[in-house]
Amino acid sequence: MIKRCIWAELMKLRHSRIWMILAVLPVISVLIGCGNYYMNRSVLTKGWYSLWSQVCLFYGEFFLPVLTAILCAYMWRLEHLNKNWNMIMTVPVPAAGIFLAKLAVVGFLLLFVQIFLFILYFLSGRLAGLDPGLPGELPGWLIRGWLASVTIGSFQLVLSMRIRSFAAPVGIGLCAVFIGLGMYVFRLGLFFPHSLLTVGMGVLSQTGLSPGENILFFAMCLFYMVADSIGAIYLLQKSDTMA
Amino acid sequence: MKLVGIELYKLRRKHLFSMVMIFLLVEISWAFVVTARSVSGNSVYAGWKALIAMLSSMNGLFFPVLTAVCVSRICDMEHKGNTRKLLLAMSVKQNRLYAAKYASAAIVMFTAAVLQALAAAAFGITSAFERSVPLFLLFRFLTATIITNMIVAALQQWISMAVKNQAFALTFGMIGGFIGVVADLLPHNVRKVFIWSYYTGLSPVTQFYTGNHVIFSIRDTGSMVPVMTVLIIAGIVVYFAGSFHVSRQEL
Repeated sequence: MIKRCIWAELMKLRHSRIWMILAVLPVISVLIGCGNYYMNRSVLTKGWYSLWSQVCLFYGEFFLPVLTAILCAYMWRLEHLNKNWNMIMTVPVPAAGIFLAKLAVVGFLLLFVQIFLFILYFLSGRLAGLDPGLPGELPGWLIRGWLASVTIGSFQLVLSMRIRSFAAPVGIGLCAVFIGLGMYVFRLGLFFPHSLLTVGMGVLSQTGLSPGENILFFAMCLFYMVADSIGAIYLLQKSDTMA
Repeated sequence: MKLVGIELYKLRRKHLFSMVMIFLLVEISWAFVVTARSVSGNSVYAGWKALIAMLSSMNGLFFPVLTAVCVSRICDMEHKGNTRKLLLAMSVKQNRLYAAKYASAAIVMFTAAVLQALAAAAFGITSAFERSVPLFLLFRFLTATIITNMIVAALQQWISMAVKNQAFALTFGMIGGFIGVVADLLPHNVRKVFIWSYYTGLSPVTQFYTGNHVIFSIRDTGSMVPVMTVLIIAGIVVYFAGSFHVSRQEL
C-alpha cells in the first residue's frame, strides 16, 4: 500500500520542476562558499574543513530548513487546491499511508539534495586546488544532515498539512531556524529539530560527535519524526476535512 | 484607495499582521540579544551603531523571506480561488488590481520597518546607551530598509502574480535572503547588482574588522542619495515591467 502511495506522490511531482528549486540552493551555496574560500585562502588554512565551513555555514544554518519548508509546502499544495482534500480522504488508503508516503518522498528528494551538495563540494574543492583526500567526518556530516533535514521535513509537513497557505509554514520555518540557533548557543542543540541540523552537519563546529552524542542525535531525530507522524496521522483520521 | 481597502479587507482573517509580528519579534529579539552581549563585552562598541549595523545585516536575511511570504500570501489568494477572472469581469483593470496588491504589500512591509525602528529606539533607551536616541541615524536606517523593501516587494510581486506555483516565488525570496546575508562577502562590483545587498549597502552604519575588533563608522549621507535615487528608479522600472507583463497574461 505504502509503495503505491509513494508512487502516487512521485507522479504528482512529475512535471512540477521541483528539481530546479532543489538544485538551486546547493549550487548557490557552493558558488559563494567556494568563491569566499578561494579569496581568503591565506586565512582559511584547514583545507577541506575550511571549505566545508564556508559552503555549509549559511546553507545548513538557514537555507536548507527553508528549502525543506518550501518542499513540504509543495507536497501538500495539490491537496489544498480544487477541493482535493475530499478526494484524497476518500481514496482507499489509510491516513498513515498518505502522510508517510509524503515523508518518504521528501526524504528521497532531500537525499538528492545532499548528494548533489557533496558532488559540488568535491568538484569545487578540487578546482580550488585541494588534495583528493576528503575529511573522514564528511559521510557523518552528510548522513546526519540528511536525517536532521528529514526530521525538519516531518515537522514542516504537519504545518503545511494544517495551514492552507503555501507561504505561512515557510515563514514559521524561518522563525524556527532562529529558535534552533538559540538552542544551539545555549548548548541544547540536540533537543530541537532545527538545531539538530546545525549539530549534525558540522555547520558551526567541525569537530565530530562523541558516540553518546551520536546516539542521542539519532534518538532525537527518530523521536521527532515518530511524534510528528503520529500527530499528523491522528489529525488526518480525527479532524474534519476542510476542502 | 477603494481597491487597496478591499485588498486589506481580504487579509482580515489571514493573520498576516500577526505573522509579521512574530517574524519581527524573533528577528529583533535575536538582534537585541547579540547587540547587548557585544556592548557589554567590549567597551569600544558604540551601542547605537552596533545595534543599527546588526539590524541591517539581519534584515538582509529576514526581510527578503518575509517580503516573499507576505507578497505570496497577498497574490496567492487570487490563484487559489481562481478569482482574477471574476475580478476582471467586474471591470477591475488588471493594472489597478496589481497596484492595489502592491500597495497593500507595501503597507505591511512599511509597518514592519517602522515597528522595527521603534523597537530599536526602545531597546536603546532601556539599555541606557551612552548617547540619546540618534533620530537622524534611525531615520536613515528606516529609509534604507523601506526603499530596499519596496523594490524587493515589486520583484516578488511580479513573480508571485506571473507564476501560479508559489514555490518559485518563495525560492526566489530564499535566494534573496541568501544573497542578502552574504552580500558583505561579495566583491563591490558584484554586490551592487543584487538588490538584496542594499539592506546593508544602504545602512547608515558600516562595520569592518581590525584584528579582533569591530570598528563602526557612519556613512556620509550625501554619498547615499544617488544610490537611493538609482534604486528608486530601478524599483519603478521593475514595478511597471511586472504590471505590464502580468496585465497582458492570458488568464
